[in-house]
Amino acid sequence: MSEDNILRRPISRRDLLKLGAAIGGAGASAAFLAACGATGTSSAPSASAAPSTAPASSAAASASAAPSTGGKLVIGAFEDGALTPFKGTIIPMFQQATGIEVEFLTEPYDSFFAKAFQDGQSKAGQYDIYIMDDPWIPQYAAAGILEELGQHGIEMDADYPKPFADLGFWPPREGARVKGFESGDPKLIALPTIGDLQTLTYRNDVFPTAPATWDDLVSAGQAAMSSNKIKYGFVFRGVKGNPVVTSFYPIFRSFGADFFDDKWNPIFNSAEGKAAADFFVTTLKSLAPKGVAEFDSDQEGAAILGGDAAAIIQYSGNAIKSDDPAQSKVVGKLDFGVVPKKVAAIAQIGIFIHGVSASAPNKDNAIAFMKWFATTEAQTALARAGDLPVKTSAFTDAQAVKDHRLLPVALAQLTAGAQARPRTPDWSKVESIIGEALNSALVAGSGGGAAMDTAAGQVKDYLTQQGYYS
Amino acid sequence: MAVLTTSHPARALRGSGLDRVLPYLMLGPTLFLVLGVVVYPLIDGLRSSTGFFRFGRQIRSVGLDNYAQAFNDPHFTGAIETTFRFVVLAVTIETVVGLALALLCAREVRFIRRLRSTLILPMIITPVVVGIVFRLIYASDVGLLASFARAFGLDAPEILSTGTGAFWGLVFLDVWEWTPLLFLILLAGIQSMPVEPFEAAKVDGAGPWRTFVDHTLPLLRPTILVAVSLRAIDALTTFDQVYVLTRGGPGTSTQLISIYGYQTFFQFQQVGYAAAMMFMVALVVVVVSGFAIALMRRRGR
Amino acid sequence: MRRELAGRVAWALAAIAAVAFAITPLVWMILTSVKSNREITQDGTLLPSAVTIGNYVSLFSGREFTSYLANSIIVTTLSVAIALALGTQAAYALARFRLWGGLDRYLGFSLLMVRLLPPIAIVIPVFLVAQQLGLLNTLLGLIVVYATFNVTIVVWMMESFFREIPVDLEEAAMVDGDTRFTAFRRIVLPLAAPGLVATGIFAAITTYNEFLFALVLTSTPSAETMPIGAATLIGRINVDWGAMSAAGVIGALPIVIFSVFVQRHLVRGLTMGAVK
Repeated sequence: MSEDNILRRPISRRDLLKLGAAIGGAGASAAFLAACGATGTSSAPSASAAPSTAPASSAAASASAAPSTGGKLVIGAFEDGALTPFKGTIIPMFQQATGIEVEFLTEPYDSFFAKAFQDGQSKAGQYDIYIMDDPWIPQYAAAGILEELGQHGIEMDADYPKPFADLGFWPPREGARVKGFESGDPKLIALPTIGDLQTLTYRNDVFPTAPATWDDLVSAGQAAMSSNKIKYGFVFRGVKGNPVVTSFYPIFRSFGADFFDDKWNPIFNSAEGKAAADFFVTTLKSLAPKGVAEFDSDQEGAAILGGDAAAIIQYSGNAIKSDDPAQSKVVGKLDFGVVPKKVAAIAQIGIFIHGVSASAPNKDNAIAFMKWFATTEAQTALARAGDLPVKTSAFTDAQAVKDHRLLPVALAQLTAGAQARPRTPDWSKVESIIGEALNSALVAGSGGGAAMDTAAGQVKDYLTQQGYYS
Repeated sequence: MAVLTTSHPARALRGSGLDRVLPYLMLGPTLFLVLGVVVYPLIDGLRSSTGFFRFGRQIRSVGLDNYAQAFNDPHFTGAIETTFRFVVLAVTIETVVGLALALLCAREVRFIRRLRSTLILPMIITPVVVGIVFRLIYASDVGLLASFARAFGLDAPEILSTGTGAFWGLVFLDVWEWTPLLFLILLAGIQSMPVEPFEAAKVDGAGPWRTFVDHTLPLLRPTILVAVSLRAIDALTTFDQVYVLTRGGPGTSTQLISIYGYQTFFQFQQVGYAAAMMFMVALVVVVVSGFAIALMRRRGR
Repeated sequence: MRRELAGRVAWALAAIAAVAFAITPLVWMILTSVKSNREITQDGTLLPSAVTIGNYVSLFSGREFTSYLANSIIVTTLSVAIALALGTQAAYALARFRLWGGLDRYLGFSLLMVRLLPPIAIVIPVFLVAQQLGLLNTLLGLIVVYATFNVTIVVWMMESFFREIPVDLEEAAMVDGDTRFTAFRRIVLPLAAPGLVATGIFAAITTYNEFLFALVLTSTPSAETMPIGAATLIGRINVDWGAMSAAGVIGALPIVIFSVFVQRHLVRGLTMGAVK
């Protein structure tokens, strides 16, 4: 009928004009939006130049072996609140000090992980420096895409706390090594960027002092919930994969459990590991919102900043928002402390760590940045800007401590116990297996121990396949 | 309505002189692109599907082990099952709702055009944006449903935090997004139906339901078949919306095969295994779509 | 009379319900996009208590949305244009000539199968090849890939259009002194134009919306397209809901504008030739 007739009718000149107008309209709207964008203040490349930069970047890729021609440095990183002070303070400082122009590109965590790795493998030369999460180091290093730093005169000085310093070496300086890297000297391939680790954030009107043990936290949390003082006693990240495992880590390790023995056999389904998992999916879930299995750090953060949660364990990126009235409804009611203990009080270390791409087009500038960033001046500036630094001296800088009360707590946590994740290139898969099992148990609200068994079986199978035990 | 016809013309042009090479010259660029961008990579991928990779490099050849491994991988078989359930449920609901909408919009009244073009809006929207839209609806803290529930003093419904909830949430997303496709095809089918049987039915005094069952449905059956096949082929490879909405969680409740394949390759760097899995999926899709296209062609004749 | 009125009211109610179903989710996204993040995450209001354009401003000043938008338009326009130019020729060759080994009968079908292959199965090998050729992170890489997928659909749809046009028309023109090319341009092309437009619309919409290949093949704002830009806001560490909704609105806008302009040809375009 009518619709059909239109379709069958040969196209008229008017229709073509309309089509032209449509394309023109789309172009015009693009131009309009471009104009809007141009008014913004952005250090990133101006967008109107985007079409022309694309061919240029391909040219740069093919000429990646060419020596660096000018004052440019491309730093790639995953998106995280903790990088805000770094980006706002450190990069301009470096630009001013050296005249090198820095391009700072960020992507979501997952995609930067995969893309930076691809960049290194394909020698695309899109980045000079990768800012990584420390568990990425084994995979990146094993694939040989990170430049060895010793040859450029960079070394790990004693001012770096040992747990941070260890992460810059591959093969590991101590602990179990994966197959293929049993022998060989540890080489320095990355330097810590931001010294992030988990700490406890709690409401000082619910807990008079930081709860020392998990039992304290649960009993006080429950009491506050039943007296309607607070909505949730404890909130955490429950999304499968990395988020739930990250939240589980301090509980798991504090219960005295560990992931692997020194032959890479999974031992996380030990009695301690199962007890921790059951405690996590049953007791802690009962203190949390019903939808906690879909919570990631944004919901977790909203719960504490919005005044609904009595306590959370978090990295510094969100913790530094606690005193900002624009983001927090409970300014003055939030305090920081060391994570609660069972047999220990171990938090997860998850430092930002930067290395130079072996195919970096501006390698000299990258090395220059690494050397500059390790100076006391840069480290102190980082701490004063509100990031957790990576050197002990900066952690204790009087001015920084005065402005940022998280610093001494982080240092206390580092002393009390803070550990990195197992150093294997297969951690991503292992974490995904554990995270999936744990998330399912969390949804059910029971079966944490059984989930550990399931995950241990799957991890063992997977690592067998990867040749860990042969 | 003609459906994807490729009936031959009565007569092809005679080739002589330059005309003999002309068609090959005209086909050349297209074939070059397809060979370079699809066929060569496929062969390349087939080769890597027989390799074992560590740290992004092939270490050794393992023959068909990667293929065998898939059948012992509960994640793979689970993802296949989830995908299958998703496609069957979503496409069934879309067909029923799409048919209802098509019948609703088949009459010619004022504003009908505007109504039709509003109804097809969801299928035009970028799938990634659709994923965003539904996260904004389902999220237990900031979502539309949660806000509604709060406004009435109720508890927020649990959608993305339970396996069943997330799965049905995904099905509902697909229904919202793709019912318009079924609606459009079926509407065209209804509009091109002959009028005689319906006039005869009216004379016989048949009610609307009887007319629908006796005349509309049988006449529409081939169109429904085409629409369902087209949608099902596409639904089998759903990726964008899940990537944005749930990343396959919670647990494995929305882990469709495309999501698992993506993770295996890009997150876990199991290059050979990922390639092997995806070739098996491709094989299934090719068989299904070959069957569907054959069906359409027969209809077209 | 009364029954008819009741029927009309029922019809109108059903139509309203259908429209509400289709647009409520989009309206919610628009509402969210003009709220502040604090209002979104902590207050959970239905209607915005204060309208802000901050989320939109952040897309264009702090993030690279101007670039994503420009890339999307460039990639879509060029890849569709290339596909139409090459595919029309190929389709004509298939429709008008008898080819070696019956190629004219099977090629169009085979090309369609290429189109229907699951993208996830091809994206991995395509990535590996693009890496070897240095086409990662370039608009050129995306254009080539999209042009290839679009050309398959152009050939499939245009072949059937050309077959429906009687050969006699062209032969008559050629007898009158036209060359094959001028006969094609003067006689065949105008008759096939509706098909060309419908195919172009379908290709443009699917290309603009494409996500997986763009996700895998690009990683800098200088080459990333709109869907990637929107997905970028769903970082794992922090979801910026306000910016995310604004990105959704901005991402959907060009395609909605385009659709309004090409409304009359949209239906056949959208149904991929299943409806003629």
